[in-house]
Amino acid sequence: MKFLLNWLWLLAGIHYAAGEHTNNWAVLVCSSRYWFNYRHMANALGMYRTVKRLGIPDSQIILMLADDAACNSRNKFAGSVYANTGRELDLYGDNIEVDYRGYEVTVENFLRLLTGRHDESIPRSKRLLTDKNSNIFIYLTGHGGNEFLKFQDNEEVSAHDISDALHQMHQAGRYNEIFFMVDTCQANSMYSTLYSPGILATGSSVVGENSYSHENDYDVGVAVIDSYTHYVLEYMERVNKTSRLTMADLFASYDVPKIGSHPGVRSDLFQRPLGPQQQHPMAEYGRGPGWKVEGEWQGREGEQGKMGKEALITDFFGGVVSVNADEDAGDVSQFEPCDDAVLHKSLKSSPVVSSSSFLPTSRLPSSGSLYPILRASAAFLLLGGLFVFVFIGV
Amino acid sequence: MNNRWRPLNFLRPAGDPNLARIKRRKALLSLIARRVSILKVALFIAGYVWMLAIPSSQLDRGVFIDENALQPGQVNTYWNWQQVHDADHFLSQLEFLRDSNATSEQRSQFIMNQFVKIGLSASTQDYEFTGVHKGVNGTNAYAMLSSPRVSGAEAMVISASWLSRTNEGDGTLNLRGVATVLAFSKFVKQYSLWARDLIFVISDGYMDGMQAWLSAYHGETQSNLRAQRLDLTSGVIFTAFNIDYPGHSLSHLGIFHEGVNGRLPNQDLINSFQHIARRTGVPVVLYDHKDEPEQLSWLPEAIRNHHEIKTYAAQARNLWRNVGYQASGRGSGVHGLFHKYRIDAFTMFALPATGPHGFYSLGRIIESTLRTTNNLLERLHASFFFYVMTNFDRFLKIGNYLPSAILISVAMMFGGLQVWVDAAWTKRQSEESKGPEPALMIWARRRRPVLQALFIMIGTHFFGAVTFFLLSSRWYNSISIGPLLLFPVTSLLPLVVPSFIPQNRSDSVAPLSLVLKAFNLCLSSTVISIITVLNFSLAACLAVALGIPLSADSLSSNKAVQMVKYSAYLGLGIGWILWGDMTKRMLWNWDVLGVWLLPFLCVVYFPLTLQAALVCII
Amino acid sequence: MLSLRPTHTLALCILLRALLAYWISPSSVSSTAGFLSSSSPLTSWLNLQEGIYLFKRGIDPYSGGVFRHSPLYLSLSSLLPISIFSNPLFCAILFTVADAFAAYALIGIWRLRQGLRLTMESSRDSLLVAIYMLNPCIFIPSLARSTSSLDNACLLGAVMWACEACGSGPGGKSENESVVSSKRSRSKSRSLLLLALRTHLSTDTLILLPPTMMLILSQDPGSRLASPRGFVPGTKNKSTLTTPILVLLAEWFLYWTLLTLLSSLVVGFGSGWMGQTWGASFTLPDLTPNPGVWWYFFTEMFDHFRPFFLMVFSVHLLLYVAPVCIKFQHDPLYAFFILTGILSTFKPYPTLSDPGLFMALWGVFPEVYKYLRHPLVTFLTSLHALLLQPLFAHLWLSHGTGNANFYYATTLVGACSGGLALVDACWAGLRIAVGGVEGVDERGEEKEVVTQQ
Repeated sequence: MKFLLNWLWLLAGIHYAAGEHTNNWAVLVCSSRYWFNYRHMANALGMYRTVKRLGIPDSQIILMLADDAACNSRNKFAGSVYANTGRELDLYGDNIEVDYRGYEVTVENFLRLLTGRHDESIPRSKRLLTDKNSNIFIYLTGHGGNEFLKFQDNEEVSAHDISDALHQMHQAGRYNEIFFMVDTCQANSMYSTLYSPGILATGSSVVGENSYSHENDYDVGVAVIDSYTHYVLEYMERVNKTSRLTMADLFASYDVPKIGSHPGVRSDLFQRPLGPQQQHPMAEYGRGPGWKVEGEWQGREGEQGKMGKEALITDFFGGVVSVNADEDAGDVSQFEPCDDAVLHKSLKSSPVVSSSSFLPTSRLPSSGSLYPILRASAAFLLLGGLFVFVFIGV
Repeated sequence: MNNRWRPLNFLRPAGDPNLARIKRRKALLSLIARRVSILKVALFIAGYVWMLAIPSSQLDRGVFIDENALQPGQVNTYWNWQQVHDADHFLSQLEFLRDSNATSEQRSQFIMNQFVKIGLSASTQDYEFTGVHKGVNGTNAYAMLSSPRVSGAEAMVISASWLSRTNEGDGTLNLRGVATVLAFSKFVKQYSLWARDLIFVISDGYMDGMQAWLSAYHGETQSNLRAQRLDLTSGVIFTAFNIDYPGHSLSHLGIFHEGVNGRLPNQDLINSFQHIARRTGVPVVLYDHKDEPEQLSWLPEAIRNHHEIKTYAAQARNLWRNVGYQASGRGSGVHGLFHKYRIDAFTMFALPATGPHGFYSLGRIIESTLRTTNNLLERLHASFFFYVMTNFDRFLKIGNYLPSAILISVAMMFGGLQVWVDAAWTKRQSEESKGPEPALMIWARRRRPVLQALFIMIGTHFFGAVTFFLLSSRWYNSISIGPLLLFPVTSLLPLVVPSFIPQNRSDSVAPLSLVLKAFNLCLSSTVISIITVLNFSLAACLAVALGIPLSADSLSSNKAVQMVKYSAYLGLGIGWILWGDMTKRMLWNWDVLGVWLLPFLCVVYFPLTLQAALVCII
Repeated sequence: MLSLRPTHTLALCILLRALLAYWISPSSVSSTAGFLSSSSPLTSWLNLQEGIYLFKRGIDPYSGGVFRHSPLYLSLSSLLPISIFSNPLFCAILFTVADAFAAYALIGIWRLRQGLRLTMESSRDSLLVAIYMLNPCIFIPSLARSTSSLDNACLLGAVMWACEACGSGPGGKSENESVVSSKRSRSKSRSLLLLALRTHLSTDTLILLPPTMMLILSQDPGSRLASPRGFVPGTKNKSTLTTPILVLLAEWFLYWTLLTLLSSLVVGFGSGWMGQTWGASFTLPDLTPNPGVWWYFFTEMFDHFRPFFLMVFSVHLLLYVAPVCIKFQHDPLYAFFILTGILSTFKPYPTLSDPGLFMALWGVFPEVYKYLRHPLVTFLTSLHALLLQPLFAHLWLSHGTGNANFYYATTLVGACSGGLALVDACWAGLRIAVGGVEGVDERGEEKEVVTQQ
């Protein structure tokens, strides 16, 4: 059955996107820790469940969770994470693969993951083994501000860093297309600095605006999911593996009064049209009832002239079986760490430096314990002699 | 060079620019010097007016919660009638103990047994104070619930003292408070979501029991306290709630938050509690002020019912209580002892009433508040420690109350500097004038006896220290006429000072009294401004007590006036010694609880007034 | 107290201080009045004990980044059992003796400045002893066992002998008074040896070298502030000044080199200790809060700018040396005084001893008091700083209600008071030369007529 399905998908791939993408990847990042940020972990886990349901295998999902809400001692429902008050669906379930957890979720690791510059010791499961035929879905959630996203409450990644990393990916042929989704405060600023082709971006709120949590669970004791992600996930429940819904359908579903913030879209870097050109609510994006300000859509003008196939939601969320075995083999070699001596050196040498500077382990030239004392005594006697000589004047 | 065009040339007068600069500076300085008296008065007025304005609703603002992690009131509570039934059950047993006149030991043994039955590890602790307060002893009972899912490096305390805080521990029993803690310990045992250990303490007496327990917990030795070591210990205590429920039912929950030596808990804790309590449906008040103040009955109806006036009166009453607790340093209850160890704590006081609330509401509020503090990741921090609560939901930020005392202190400083400068000059007839016209008046410089003044000041502080040792000696406390002996001695002894100090009354030396006054004012000002950050209420009291009196004193030629002034200053400085009860209570606070008020009064405050008194007679 | 004989005052102060030092534990001092300000990482007695312990176990104490004392301390420890360094009696004696010696040196400086001999009494002696021994800025670090007290004693000794060595340049009236001359040259050697030692113990001595050497070269240590007339050398002939300078420098360098060699001998001919001891003042490796102005600045700094600002801060200290020495060339002791003030305000790892030394030296220059513009204001600012520093450190670190900014604000108050005192000292030291512009009556000292109505 699965085999058959794979074949169907292969056919579909050949038919619809010949020479385009052959595999799908997802990078899901929750960058904040602490119990009261439960909702951010739930956001990322909710996305994880959806992309997995739509067919991206665990081996192609990189999940970064900065904290473990499920095992937090404050969690009344130990081992579970829920994203809704009814607690019908345990997002943590029994089949979760968290690739980066806790203090591994750092800006450095995130950027290394994107650009593929890893230490040799990093296992394949922690690498983004994409190629020029990969479509990547990148989802970021946490506490952000204008053009930055906080990691772990002690460092932050700037929008420029991410833009540069994505551009490196483009130059290294590490993706075909990217769908970039951010749910933070002032999220739209995160995609404003992107400049590499093939990226479609969306965010939860305009600059100067907060994103809000959706609901509290009074047994868990904290907010369990953010509003924007909640409604995106709700929409995604209508999508299945064979769905023909387009990105335009997704964006047009944004309901500002419900979400509480003004989501934005950026399509000027993306070559394909978001959806049907005619008679689609997307044409009026951000102008409907409920929008307090006009919805931000960078690339609205360019949309009319775009040719090619419409961007389906499943282009990013679905699973495409890679067909070209030869290319796969070639890819593996391509993903070996870049020859970046400086990075390697710093990684290898840093622990050595730190240990030597804190532990007084190096012994005096002679290891005997009496000898230095004798030497010191001799020095003291000489010192005394000098003082006697000067002060008493032998 | 002066003809050259330069920007802003009109600001630069012609002539030597250096000379002009010096002239300008001199003019400015002389302006300040001439106006310093007015400036001083203005600062005093501003300071006192500001102080009076603190209770008004113009300066304060609504409370808010600063710490994200707290998330108050976001949980369902499961404390229910079953738990109320448990509490009632414990209460009836406690009442039986009360009626059978059980000793401290029997009581604590009973409480410990209850804890053990519930399934907690529990123990008791005997303590006894020695020295001046020999009779103070008792037995504490306590229990620990180890956090089921994390190592016990941190802890939270829920406590109740055997005596209620009603009238500062007048003997009213806190039976319902104890019953609540017992029932609550049984209740929380069912849950595994505690991120830190829970410690339940039933302390004996009013303050003394908790003092003994906390010193033992933190491994501190107090020379006059013999306390048994604790069998059970846990980690660092972050927060503590003290539950005080003396009545039959409760109508309001009162917040008592002032700690020993003027310390305050982090405001977030109080704010979370009042948020939760109001959500649960129980009205919250500050202290036990549930009725409107009655002192305003003499005012006409229209004014009395004016919103602003009513608010002012209510907030002024709250502030008055706050000053009483904070300035005296004794704190407003058992929670105050926790503050010494950097533990944020407050007392939930159940205002006695016939209804409508009881164990049911109280338990829910405690449960929710505990869940809130359980959410904390670390100690409450940020600088949310500097505040003055005017109501349970209103407070003043540091910038809105601190300047009042600082302004007065600055006025005193200006006064001191003015006297210092004045002391350097004398006006006399010129010797050179030989003509028929009257001799010219000359301002002549004179020497200031700095060292003598300094010796007098050091001597007065030393004298204050001796007074303190006398006051706290066992001998003094064993005789009933102690105050009547000590007061005349302390007030008459300084009279010999003028005969000791060789005074050079010549024209070329400034009078000692002027220099002493200058130093006295400057030192008082320094003391006031430094105390403001430690204990604002005390600083405000000092500013009121010392501000104008110390600025107004001067040497007079009339012996009688001198003596009247002298005795007035001494009355201000050491008169409190005559109130034996007050001194006894301060001594108890110092000896048992480590409250600094008595030594401060003796070693800092009394000498300052003594210096002012000496200014009158030297 | 004024009527007491100096020896009695000294004995009284020593007794009082020794009792205090014996009864009060250093930890209780450094957690109350001396919170953060009684000792620095470079002068902490605990660190010294740690280093000695490691050294005696055959471990290089300098490899740990904690021990930053000179190896000479290690040589001292070699003959003593390690337990003696925590013995209260030994420590009480050591630190009381050091302070007593410093107080004695202070009297000596005063006497020599008045043109008296070292053994002749003057009426101000008792006051000076009290100013030094009972000064909270001096005795708090001593009670906390900060080695900065020893540094102060060393420095004051060097200055006292420098005062005694005045006019001892070669060729200066050595024909008929050969005894006096040999005595002077011995004083000079003592002074230079102590200076070299002090340079080893605390690098900031380098800044104090020029005025001290000028003092040795000058004719006498008496006050010339009122009549500034250029540098007055001890030699008759100004052109021969180059040789004595070179000789002085050579002698100092000789001692310094000897001490360096001895230090290297102690730690086994290595040079790693130099970076840990001397280097610490330039690279600021330990940012433990202290009453100076450096630490906060460098905790806030991005590492990228660190070397640059380290250089700026160090050079800033050096900048003052030449102008102060040139302006006060007629009275090198006054230049020395001003430079101790600059060090106490701006040096990298100050303790309370440094402002204490500056305060105590005020006692030697009573002639300038009349010309101070705002002595009371300066004093009150210092008092505020002295009271607020431990208080805010307490609020920050033990109450937990304040934060680092509180404490840093008080160190800035301290720096302001240091700055005020410095400015006033410079002003008064120069103003005294102008004398009667404001109508100072030359006949009676207190009868200056200033303005007429």
